[in-house]
Amino acid sequence: MALYVYAIVAEDHPASVEDMSGVGSESAPVRVLASGPLRAVVSDISEEIRPKRRDLLIHQEVQERLMRGGPVLPLQFGYTAPDEATVEEVLRRDADGYLAQLERLDGCAEYHVRASQDEDRLLRRILRETPEAQELNERIRSGEEDPQLPLALGQLVAAQVRERQEDLAAGLVEALVPFARDHSVRRASGDDFLNFSLLVPDERKQDFLTAQTRLAQEVKDDVELRLVGPLPPYSFVQ
Amino acid sequence: MTMVPQSGSAVSRGGGSTSSLYDVLELILDRGLVIDVFVRVSLVGIEILKIDARIVVASVDTYLRFAEACNRLDLEAGRKAPAQLPEVVGDMVEGGAHGKSKGALSGAVEAVTESLKGKSRDDEEPDEEEAEEEPAPRRRRPAARRTAHREKE
Repeated sequence: MALYVYAIVAEDHPASVEDMSGVGSESAPVRVLASGPLRAVVSDISEEIRPKRRDLLIHQEVQERLMRGGPVLPLQFGYTAPDEATVEEVLRRDADGYLAQLERLDGCAEYHVRASQDEDRLLRRILRETPEAQELNERIRSGEEDPQLPLALGQLVAAQVRERQEDLAAGLVEALVPFARDHSVRRASGDDFLNFSLLVPDERKQDFLTAQTRLAQEVKDDVELRLVGPLPPYSFVQ
Repeated sequence: MTMVPQSGSAVSRGGGSTSSLYDVLELILDRGLVIDVFVRVSLVGIEILKIDARIVVASVDTYLRFAEACNRLDLEAGRKAPAQLPEVVGDMVEGGAHGKSKGALSGAVEAVTESLKGKSRDDEEPDEEEAEEEPAPRRRRPAARRTAHREKE
């Protein structure tokens, strides 16, 4: 029977997941497969799962439960093994690498920070502070129909948005990185201009949260800073 | 997992681990350990999220959207109108003309995701149970955020 695989932990991890139900519509119990110095946390799965919100939540809840018992290597959502032997073979084959990662992540949690700006406020500000953009905007609004005008305005404004948000993002990263053992900045999507993960050691957690709160307060007129965590170290496993 | 509201205008819909799930969706789906001999189940919806993350800002379409967004701004009202008025107007605009009131940045993302899903812009009530129908929950947030900021202006 195929297995859905949630995470890898060390053999001394309590992995107390027996009361949890796994992903999929039939929701088999979450259980532990041991092999050498490692354990995989899995549940049986018979059908092809689709990314229902319930399954994503279960995947995440299993990680959160495991985090309480020690370091965990969270798998990306959606990975299945054809049978137990395959899982055991993987744990044996790559044991050294997984153990090294578990050691590196011990006593740390991921915190994920995103930042966005209210677009109207930002555009208003850019127009106020960029005479050339303001003039172009006025000409378009007063009825000039030259098709180059919107293009020129948009290009100018887009460049300003990018420049301002890159500066802001760099400042936010710089302010928080000192609290992290490792960090990862990825391309932001949607309305966000910052997508930033930090690996924070437990002993720096309070200082980090204090600094983050202060930072959010300082920039609140310009930036909405969102923080999620502690999370399993999704961004810091390979 | 806890969501820490930051500026007073953080996500408030849903609540608890449900609302913060939106911000960690990308981590759960795109990061984490990948084991080559394991098989990733076919997940409709994941491609949509990836496209969302790949949107490039510099394009003619984006320029035109920014220009439109600037043309729409009422610069005077932004500074002088009473705090409550823009909020009411904003709500009406959001409710009445979804496409137009979307920001230039998120608009491009939406156009792609919605064309992929084969849905119209007016179809704004996805099935809450289907994660694949909720690839861009942040879509609905800009409205809430704009409203919150207007209150402060």
